[in-house]
Amino acid sequence: MGLGRISKKKWIYYPVTFYVNLIRNIPLILVIFWFYFVMPIIVGRPMDPFPSAVISFIVFEATYFGEILRAGFQSVSRDLIQAGYSTGLTYWQTTRYLLVPIAFRRMLPSMITQSIVTYQDTSLAFVIGLPELVRRTAIVDGLEVRSIQLFGFVAVVFFITCYLGSIVSRRFEVQRERGF
Amino acid sequence: MIEIRDMSKWYGDFQVLSRINEVIHRGQTVVVCGPSGSGKSTLLRCINGLEPFQEGEVLVDGVSVSDPSTNLYKLRQKIGMVFQRFELYPHMTALQNITLAPLKVKKKTREEAGKKAMELLARVGIPDKADSFPANLSGGQQQRVAIARALAMEPEVMMFDEPTSALDPEMIKEVLDVMINLAKGGMTMVVVSHEMGFAREVADEIIFMDEGKIIERGTGEEFFKNPKSERTKDFLSKILI
Repeated sequence: MGLGRISKKKWIYYPVTFYVNLIRNIPLILVIFWFYFVMPIIVGRPMDPFPSAVISFIVFEATYFGEILRAGFQSVSRDLIQAGYSTGLTYWQTTRYLLVPIAFRRMLPSMITQSIVTYQDTSLAFVIGLPELVRRTAIVDGLEVRSIQLFGFVAVVFFITCYLGSIVSRRFEVQRERGF
Repeated sequence: MIEIRDMSKWYGDFQVLSRINEVIHRGQTVVVCGPSGSGKSTLLRCINGLEPFQEGEVLVDGVSVSDPSTNLYKLRQKIGMVFQRFELYPHMTALQNITLAPLKVKKKTREEAGKKAMELLARVGIPDKADSFPANLSGGQQQRVAIARALAMEPEVMMFDEPTSALDPEMIKEVLDVMINLAKGGMTMVVVSHEMGFAREVADEIIFMDEGKIIERGTGEEFFKNPKSERTKDFLSKILI
């Protein structure tokens, strides 16, 4: 997706750009709904919530991760790549030792952040009846009626995992300020 | 060493270089000056094949740059290049910056490449910075690492694209000193620069370019004392203050 957005080939660039713009301007919840309720009409048979949710997430998040990749690759200046060429490195050597490692270091913090967002968004799969964490809690709550403790626990689980993620992300950002 | 014959280049409809002719002999230092947008940097990039051109011919050591059968990767090993904004690899130490191409292109051993890199760092005056990352070096130090990186491939020609214009004034001298030593040591050099003191001291020829054309050429003193064209006089009066 990201490579398609920096492609010089028009037949790759335009469809990919159209797709990215389309999906990024639709709320995730709509994509989830759409897949779950519209796909069965097209395919002709009902879909399970789990594969349906997984596909929705892939369709949706691919555009966001694609844009992070695009920004990462574009952040490596043309002159830096030319500096590699000027010492006699080949196209593949320049890509392998310069473009990819530099771009990935720069995109890592955004990648982690986006992963955290994706993880939090999994609770949206609730709307098509997928028993993810929030849904399961609601079921238990229906039996035990201890909303504060149960949903409090879920919040703590989300908080700890996401906070750990953001600590890692920040460490990479500090590294980046040192010149990456 | 370098021969440019009737070379022209266009970006779409816009002509950036027009009928350039120039011969640079082994051991010569040629300084190219001119206002921004006059095609100086593009000229350098045409010599080592980083930019294609549409007409004419460029020969480096008798090998045509535009010939499709020429191995440009091989040709570029003979031509070191230094950039305005240093362009060091940010994820590698100074030493790794210098040894990357010798290791991967020339397939040298780590010891060989490392030893050579340390010699070069000593030559540019910063042997103690081998393990520093570019972000921890000053502009002048970064540019000297960049020069060492280019020299590590043992090039026959060195090209400099405004090597001092991104530097603070007090760092210009340390970079120019390295370049002067190189020139006096017999390196063939093509230098795009407005450092007229440098040009006066080491240039065998000075070329003035404007709008993609070579307007005037001359040896050091003659160029400064008796510029022939009005355009050159005007330019020199602006940069020499």
